[in-house]
Parts: sequence; structure tokens; C-alpha cells
Amino acid sequence: MAKESFDKEIQILRMLALTSGAFTRTQFAERLGISVHTFDKTIRRLKEVLGSMHQHLTQEQSREWSEAIRYSYYESADPLLLFLFRAKSVKASESYRLSLLLSAMDGQALTVMELLDICCSPPSDETATIEEMPMPDEKTIRSDVKYLESVGVIRKESAARPYRYRVNDDLLQALSPEELLDLYDYIDVMANTQLPSVQGYLLRDGLKKHLLRGQAQTHELEPFLYKYHYHSRVLDEAHLFTLLHAIEGRLRVRFLYFSPKSERSYASRNTNPLFERETEGKQQRTLPLKLVYDHQYGRWYLLGHGREGLRKYRLEGVTQIELEDAVDAAGYEDKQAELAEKLRYSWLIDTGKPVTVRARFYHTGLARNFVKERVLLQGQWGQIVEEDDEAFIYEIVVNGTTEIRPWLRSFGSSCEVLEPLQLRREMISEWKEIQSTYESI
Amino acid sequence: MTRLEESGTFTVTSHERAWLKTMLAHPAAAEAFAADTLAKLREVLAPEAELDVARHLIEKARSRERQVYHPHLRPLRRLIAERQGVRLTYAVKDDREYTDHPGLPYKLEYSMVKREWYLLWYRLRQPSLMSTRLQKIRAFAAEPLDSHTAERAQQRIAEAIAARRTEAVIEIVPLYNAELSRILYAFSSFEKSVDYDSGGDLYRVRVSLLGDEIEYLLSKLRFLGRRVRVVQGDYLIHRMRESSAKALARYAEAEPEIEAAAPEERTS
Repeated sequence: MAKESFDKEIQILRMLALTSGAFTRTQFAERLGISVHTFDKTIRRLKEVLGSMHQHLTQEQSREWSEAIRYSYYESADPLLLFLFRAKSVKASESYRLSLLLSAMDGQALTVMELLDICCSPPSDETATIEEMPMPDEKTIRSDVKYLESVGVIRKESAARPYRYRVNDDLLQALSPEELLDLYDYIDVMANTQLPSVQGYLLRDGLKKHLLRGQAQTHELEPFLYKYHYHSRVLDEAHLFTLLHAIEGRLRVRFLYFSPKSERSYASRNTNPLFERETEGKQQRTLPLKLVYDHQYGRWYLLGHGREGLRKYRLEGVTQIELEDAVDAAGYEDKQAELAEKLRYSWLIDTGKPVTVRARFYHTGLARNFVKERVLLQGQWGQIVEEDDEAFIYEIVVNGTTEIRPWLRSFGSSCEVLEPLQLRREMISEWKEIQSTYESI
Repeated sequence: MTRLEESGTFTVTSHERAWLKTMLAHPAAAEAFAADTLAKLREVLAPEAELDVARHLIEKARSRERQVYHPHLRPLRRLIAERQGVRLTYAVKDDREYTDHPGLPYKLEYSMVKREWYLLWYRLRQPSLMSTRLQKIRAFAAEPLDSHTAERAQQRIAEAIAARRTEAVIEIVPLYNAELSRILYAFSSFEKSVDYDSGGDLYRVRVSLLGDEIEYLLSKLRFLGRRVRVVQGDYLIHRMRESSAKALARYAEAEPEIEAAAPEERTS
């Protein structure tokens, strides 16, 4: 909601989360295409933000930074990477005034003039802090109120002038403590198992703090675990709402794209030509059509239409995104429909030629139910076409065999590819390679 | 922000309410709330817009969603919060049934792979850490535990988890360094650290996991195929060797002389 762009912070966090301390500062900076100085500055800023969000972490700040955001399944139920989104939702420089306004509107409806009075005569224990803060004028308060109303945190009491505003906490007021716990659980489960997640995590975080201010103990609020989460995926949701907005409004977008295969993933936007450097990022202009989330790797894609036709981008490579002009509705819907048709048989996002893949799965012994269950669960639109006591045959039409191949291979010797012959040969060759790798160990 | 928290004001944005409204449309909502709670929530959220996400988002390679909520979830999470004991009647894999086993439940775990809930508990009779599908729990009742037993059980749980922890080191075959991002994404669901040797341009991923997670790690290793190799972890190495030998035997039975080079595998 703040205008600030957190591209650089997100790139750094993602790399930290994925590589967990593999690189030195210099190596990091090199890979991000920024100077060591900028890297240090960004890390300092992240630490500040993190320190103000998670008080319990401040005493641990001496720990290595990568250690602090390291994924630890049994110790942390809070998605740590989320703090960046929290930082984003309220402008830091105004947080003092906004918090004063919000606590004033908590439980009572007030006019802008009444709020101005409160801001100019804060409670006595706050005077020490207020001395550093300039006295706000009516215009400032009006714009604050407008901002808080636009993000939905407060609402107008009635249509009568002068407008009176109050904190919009109907959600809390409507429910008993017992019901709030059910709500908290539901938010937790849905944020962890459904898409998108970030809004749910923020809501969970707010409600958790509210419950902790009441009777609840931390252990009471962390009864659930979720196994095998791609926790860095929340970072890739950073551009999600911008892109959804673009799709909804049929707007073209422009961004600097770093293909994930390039070594660098961020370019500093220097204005001084002396510092201008070659970057591997490419300026892209595209018309977003669909977003794809790939559960196999936990990754987001943007599918758009550009000058060369259909283009696919990984969201983690998208930075400095800007909205442009709108296109007309009729042509846009055609393009969307055409894309949907092309993706029908994509295991992930391959829009190549459809082929029929047939594989025999063996389900004898202990693995009996396990293999079949997994195929039924993960096999997308594929069907089991034949079955006996020893094995069953699974058949699916997919665009190309590249994307389904790792999945088939993950079954090990429980899966034998029958068709197409080319894929069968590739599997044999790859198993041979794996075998020779382990023979030498 | 810290101040907002100190002031005790609960703030919720319209985006967050829209998200909640969208999630309440999921069938799981009916199992998660009492009917009148759900009605109240829907009424409060009536003025909000819903998110447009579903219309513009395609989810691929998603497991079929068998279960998001389970009726046992609400009562069991309350037992855990109150640190109560439990008496369980449950079935195991081959459908043998165990009746009235006392224990201490400590977490409810959702498997994103199997899309199903499990109760993690410590069994007091024949002590051991248990992971039981909610689907297989036939009956349960709260069982008061004296504080001494409960404390000891908590301690045993922590010890047992620590004892099950194991480590493996996986090397990324340098030929595939260009696919680093994809490979690290595949390991991002594990607790891990990465070492980089700039001289040899070599990445090594040290994965720390519990014993019962080894099968999942193995499926990831087979998934990545020749891009990675286990360099530390005897059991994993043994299993990978066995997997490749058995897989090749399957193919050999059908046609003994096939030789071909696999082309590059790419998804992006």
C-alpha cells in the first residue's frame, strides 16, 4: 500500500531463504548486481524493519542474519518472510500519528476536527515522543483519514456531515472468544493450504496479536503444522495484486525481467550515468493474461501476450513493475480464451504439442496402496485405464513430456514408462546415469 | 507498527477481509464453524468484495484436495491447547485396531502432499511418538494427566524428535548450476543450509530432517534425477543405488538393448 518498492529487499530475502548462508557479502552483491555498500545498506534496513516487527527477535540480532530467517519447522509457526509485507502496509514515518488516530477511533466514532484535537493534545506520557513530531494540521489529518479509509481499516459511521469515523473491527465485535479461536484456526489453515496466502497471513498475524493481548498463550495458538511448505513462495506474491489488477483492467505492464537462469537478479536503478552498469535484466512490455502457480516447485508464472506472441515469465524474475495503457475488451478475451485452450494439457506451462503418455505403475508389497493413492492424488487429469493385482496403467495427454518427466521419475522403480518410446528411452538413459553416479560413491 | 500493537488496536484492511470472504466460500468453512458463527461472519463480510484471484489464476500439478478440515480438528486442537491427555481408539495401515490407548497429543499436522490431517501424539503405553491420520481415529476422549506424567511426556517428545533428526549432504552436479534456482526451490521445503565453494563452483545442500521424512526426500531426489547427487547419507545412497538398479531391471525385462541419450530437460 505504501508507494515504496521493496524489489531489492525481496530479491535479497529470496536468495537468503533459498541459499541459507551459502554466499559471502561480496558474492551476494555480485549475484544481485549491486555494490557491497548497497547490499549492506539494504540488510541494515531489513534488520530495522524486522526489529520493529518482531520484538522477540531483537535480542537475537547478534545472530547471523541468514540464521534468523532460516526455516525451522518445529520452532517457528510464523512465516518470517511475511514481515516485509507488514512493513509495507503502513508508512513508517507516519506510524506514530496513525497509531494515535487509530486508538482514538477504537470504539468511538470521531470527526476529523475531533481527531485533530486529540493529535494536538496527546496523553501526557507521550509528550517525550511528541516533541520530535511536528504538530499535524487539518489537511494532514484529512489525508491520514482518507488513507485509513481507503485501505479499509476505518469506516464512516453514517452519511451525515460532518463524517464520523471509527475503526472497522466488526469482525471482532461479532464473535465470542470461542468463535474467534475458530476463526483464527480457519485463517491459519486456509492461509497455509490455499492461494493466495499473504492476506491471510497478515490477518492471522493481527488476530494472533489480539488474542495474545487477551487470555491466550502462545502455545494455544500454534497447534498446527504444515508439512513441506515452499515458504519462500510468499515473496513471489509481492506482485500478485498488481498483476491481478492489470488483468482485471486489461492493462499492459512494463517491468525489468531477470531470467532465473541469469546469475544476477537485481539491477540498481542508478540515475548517475557514471554508475550505469551493464545489467542482464531486460526491459519487457507485455499484456498479462493469466497467472499460474506450479505446486510441483512452488513457483509463480505470469503468462502474457507481447510483440512475439505468448510469453512466459517467472514472477521471481519480475522487478520494477509499472502499469501502462488498457487494450480493448474483445481482442483481450479472445487472447485469454486461446491461452486457456493451449494450457489445457499443460502439466505445468508447456504449450507444445500434445502427446499421450502411458506408464505402468507397480503396486505390490508394502507400497501397494501408497503408489496408487499418490498417482490418483497427483496425476492431474490422467486416468487409470487398466489394472491387475501387480500393476496398473496410467494414461494422460500432455503438452510435451518434459514437465511430467520428473514426476514419473520420482516413483523410482515403481514406474515404467511405456509410451512414447522416446520418453521411455530417455528414462532408461537417465537411470543409467544415476546408477553410474552412485556406483562411484 | 510496534506502537500500533502496543496501543492494542486490532486493524484489518479491506484486502484482508476480501481474502477471508473468498476463503469462506470454500466448502471447508462448513466444517470449521458452528452454523451460526458462519452466518455471523458472512453477515459482517457481506459489504466486502471478493478477490478475483480464482478467475485469473491457474493452479498446476496440485494434489487433489481430499480434505482441508476434519471434524476431529476442533476438539483435538482444544485438547492440545489445554495440554490435556487423550484416550484414542485408532486403526493402523493394515486396519488392525487399537482400543483406548492413553497418550499426550502435541500437534496437528497437515500433509501438503497427501492433503490430509494427522495427529501427532505421544503414546504412554509402549511409549513412542505416533502420527495417526484423523481419518483413522475411530474415537477419542479427554484423559486427565497428572502434571508429573504430562511434563515427563513433553520432555520425552522433545528428546524423541531430537533423536530422530538426521542429516544428509546433497551436491548439485556443476553441469546443472544454471538450474540452481529450480533445484533450490525443490529443496526449499526442507530445513537446510547451503555451502558454496567458489573455487570448484560447487553447491552443497545440507538437509536436516526427521527420520520419517526420508521417503519424501528420496522422492525429491528421484524427481531431480541426475542434477543432484547424495554425497553424505549412507541410507539415501543405498536407496538411490537400489532405485536405479530396480528401475533398469524393469526396463531390461521388456527390451534388453535400448540405448539413447536424453535431451535437456527444461521447464522455463
